[in-house]
Amino acid sequence: MSRPPSITGRLTNSLALVGGIGAVLLLIVIGIEYRISFSNLSNHDALVQALHELSEHVLLPMAVLILPMALAGRWAIKSGVKPLIAAARQIDARADETRGVRVDITHFPVEARPFAEAINRVLGRVDHAAALHEAFAADIAHELRTPLTLLSLELDRLDYPEAERMRGDVAQMRRLIDQLMLLAQVDADRAAHVPPARLDLGDIAAEVIAQLAPIALDQERRLALEGDVPLLIHGRREAIAAALRNLIENALRVTPPHGTVTVRTAPSEGGEDVLLAVRDEGPGLAPDELLALVERHRRADHASRDGAGLGLAIVERIMRAHGGRLSASPETHEIVLHFPAALASG
Amino acid sequence: MARILVVEDNERLARLIADGLTAQGHVCDCVLSLGAADDALHAAQFDGLVLDLGLPDGDGVDWLRQRTGAVPPVLVLTARDALEDRIRGLDAGADDYLPKPFEMRELAARLRALLRRPGGRHDAILTLANLVYDPAGQSVQVDKAALDLTRREAALIELLLRRAGQVVRRAVIENSLYTFDEAVTPNAVEAVVSRLRRKLDEAGAAVELHTIRGVGYMVRARAA
Repeated sequence: MSRPPSITGRLTNSLALVGGIGAVLLLIVIGIEYRISFSNLSNHDALVQALHELSEHVLLPMAVLILPMALAGRWAIKSGVKPLIAAARQIDARADETRGVRVDITHFPVEARPFAEAINRVLGRVDHAAALHEAFAADIAHELRTPLTLLSLELDRLDYPEAERMRGDVAQMRRLIDQLMLLAQVDADRAAHVPPARLDLGDIAAEVIAQLAPIALDQERRLALEGDVPLLIHGRREAIAAALRNLIENALRVTPPHGTVTVRTAPSEGGEDVLLAVRDEGPGLAPDELLALVERHRRADHASRDGAGLGLAIVERIMRAHGGRLSASPETHEIVLHFPAALASG
Repeated sequence: MARILVVEDNERLARLIADGLTAQGHVCDCVLSLGAADDALHAAQFDGLVLDLGLPDGDGVDWLRQRTGAVPPVLVLTARDALEDRIRGLDAGADDYLPKPFEMRELAARLRALLRRPGGRHDAILTLANLVYDPAGQSVQVDKAALDLTRREAALIELLLRRAGQVVRRAVIENSLYTFDEAVTPNAVEAVVSRLRRKLDEAGAAVELHTIRGVGYMVRARAA
């Protein structure tokens, strides 16, 4: 494999070439000037004299010129490339952001600007395309609501046993549409840099549990909330509520009848994070299984049988949008949402 | 039971809502625009209003804010379900908010709760299964036999019955059962609930009083 071309390498090569050609030219010039010819180099004194002249007038100037030039060149290249390396590091540091990323060209050398500006123009077009795509998805979800309402109301009038099953399907579609719209909203807010609100995680948890408790009781399962200290975070209330709703619905599915799904809020051990954990009474989910479920749907490979994966992928996206993460703790049967805590001053 | 005005520009949807509410025993009128809604409200007395937000002649929230004179309790229907829109609607005078798509039983339940609220013109007697509550006398009957409740127990059952089938948060109960000066111990509400639950069970009330630990309480009819 050939090495990629390097500016320093090229500079070294060019300087070596310049040095070589310069030395040859100087040799010729000096030869003519001092009338040195190969014939009169036969005696020893003349040879010593000639070598002395050569080193004084050729090698010394070459060394004096070429070496500092090589060093200065290396330095110029290094300092010229430094802003590029810094910009690359800065972009890598924002790996979790997919929108609104631009190369900061304020410290770029003039020579590198056309390239960086072209990259920024491409990034702008990618952002625009993504925004259009999201807006389109949100529009579709929005437009589906009225026909879905009509379908749902028509189904209510039917008295067939099958109608109940169809009602369940409509309810499932409805949840999906809600989640798609929510994701579009979260992404749009991030792109528009809408400042997040200060929220109490415990209050959100209580509200979601209050909504879902009657449904859980219908399925002979109970919901409970543990931890009643206010825990402040920054975020979007609807998105966090939807993430929690997803986790509770999954937990209800795996918990046997007469079991309890418990939601717990607590500061993390170090105190820098705030945790929202959902504990089920099912078999438990290992961290790599959770990762596999999330990954599968991130890759849009719709292979999961119960729809839990898509929900988890949405939860994971919501958490990333909040600068948090999702984890599984099989020994405590918990799936945990980690949020960065809102500082008292923030 | 109650006279409801449905303001919805999708004719099929309006008809389906009206049919569903009629099946619940309500009397329904449908209008397709805000202008027609103004005329209808002028011409007759309604107990409740089901209002779609995006209408051909304007925005339902703006219309609600600008309306002068008495407006019956309003249930807003909308495809917009972001929290900001919800707050805007409630600020403008909507009493409740139902995002599309919804099911008929959801709409009916919300409307029932709305008509039951204090200030609604609807009959004040609250009924759940074989339990009857009269807010005027703060008296409870199970199968027509009077149940002896303390003032606090009666206030609690009224609060829960007004939102039967929904969870009432513990903070809401604490605020309405106790004054600011009374110190509420964490177990105070739970103790009242336990006593009320025992009295209801002993009287043979066909209702369930659920504790949702850490969140609140809910009363609903016992499943057959």
